[in-house]
Amino acid sequence: MKKSSPTFILSYCVFLIVVGITGCSEKSAEETRPPLKSPAYLEEATPEPVVVSEKTRETYQWYCAQCHGIQGKGDGINAKFLTVPPRNHTKAKYLETRTDKQFFEAIKFGGLSVGRAPCMPAWGNTMSDSTIHELVRYIRELCQCEAL
Amino acid sequence: MKNFLYLLMGGWLLCNPMLSHASLIQEKKCSECHRLSKDENEKSGPDLFYAGNKFQASWLKQYLQNPMTIRIAGGTGDPGFLKGIQANSQKHPALSKKDAGQVTKELMALMLLELPEEVDLLEPLTKGQKAKIKYEFERTFSCISCHQSLNLAGKVRGGISGPSLVNAGNRLQASWVASWLKSPRTFSSKSRMPIYKMEDEARLRLTQFIATLKNENKR
Ligand code: HEC
Repeated sequence: MKKSSPTFILSYCVFLIVVGITGCSEKSAEETRPPLKSPAYLEEATPEPVVVSEKTRETYQWYCAQCHGIQGKGDGINAKFLTVPPRNHTKAKYLETRTDKQFFEAIKFGGLSVGRAPCMPAWGNTMSDSTIHELVRYIRELCQCEAL
Repeated sequence: MKNFLYLLMGGWLLCNPMLSHASLIQEKKCSECHRLSKDENEKSGPDLFYAGNKFQASWLKQYLQNPMTIRIAGGTGDPGFLKGIQANSQKHPALSKKDAGQVTKELMALMLLELPEEVDLLEPLTKGQKAKIKYEFERTFSCISCHQSLNLAGKVRGGISGPSLVNAGNRLQASWVASWLKSPRTFSSKSRMPIYKMEDEARLRLTQFIATLKNENKR
């Protein structure tokens, strides 16, 4: 590796401080939006309608409810310890403004990937894409809303 | 009649050494709440069949005499877990110093033959690594959303659905932390924590960071 100049190191430190200072449990500034990649699997339209299985409902209870709450109201047991509250999955007014693709990416790659808070973890290694598609449907069920 | 007595004596002599070797873990009925072997069904308390890989003996001995809460919201399998009610919250029994020593010895003998990752002596973190790790712990991997830990000022921060990491540096062995991060399903088929595929370097940094979390660093 090339030897880095002091100014580079300095600006890197400033970057780390600025970006690193705001976490999930401390007051955080507005999130910066990382560049969105648009992977191939998202371009392929899912032909069959996604049906939310019983197993996926249990998956939501097992993994998601600890933050989003048993009924998806954003009041899980971790909620009051996070600076950015977990999204209320029953609030149509906001959720209509988000696309299914944004939901999918938030769940698979975490909140940061769609310009939302990093307190929302990435679940892409924990569950399959088809489960995540079902979770997106389940959230649409909870909010009784579709993307506008 | 005489033969019968001999039989009785013989039986007693045979059984006696076995009895005195019967473990204190059994006597204290640890297995009512904890799995002592992987083949058992899930139980309400944390698994102990790999206790010898996971815990630091000195911490275990202290804990058994003076149990404190590590899972603030209770066990993840508790019926009241998601409601914030600890339905199964019996207090952990406290043992005498002597018994705690013996039980620790027996628990430390419960080990998996092979760990997914062995970590050698941990180097102290550099300043740059510390900034990086804070970023990763709070943002890249969202650890802090579910685990209490200490921020740079030594203040307790974080969610409560996962076990507290505030004293993890005294409680856990580094190799176990790295192994859990690498392959959590080796230890538990059921955990509410996301599975991560992280670079070896990131896993080591996290392990090092967790090793620095100690009660005595709390402000
Ligand atoms: C550790 C806490 C936590 C867990 C566990 C969690 N989330 Fe979230 N989630 C959050 C937070 C916090 C936000 C809000 C992010 C924001 O508004 O910036 C969020 C936001 C979301 C969003 C909305 C993103 C948007 O467009 O605003 C979706 C969808 C979502 N979560 C789905 C899930 C699903 C599905 C699961 C379970 C697999 C899950 N979450 C588990 C904390 C969590």
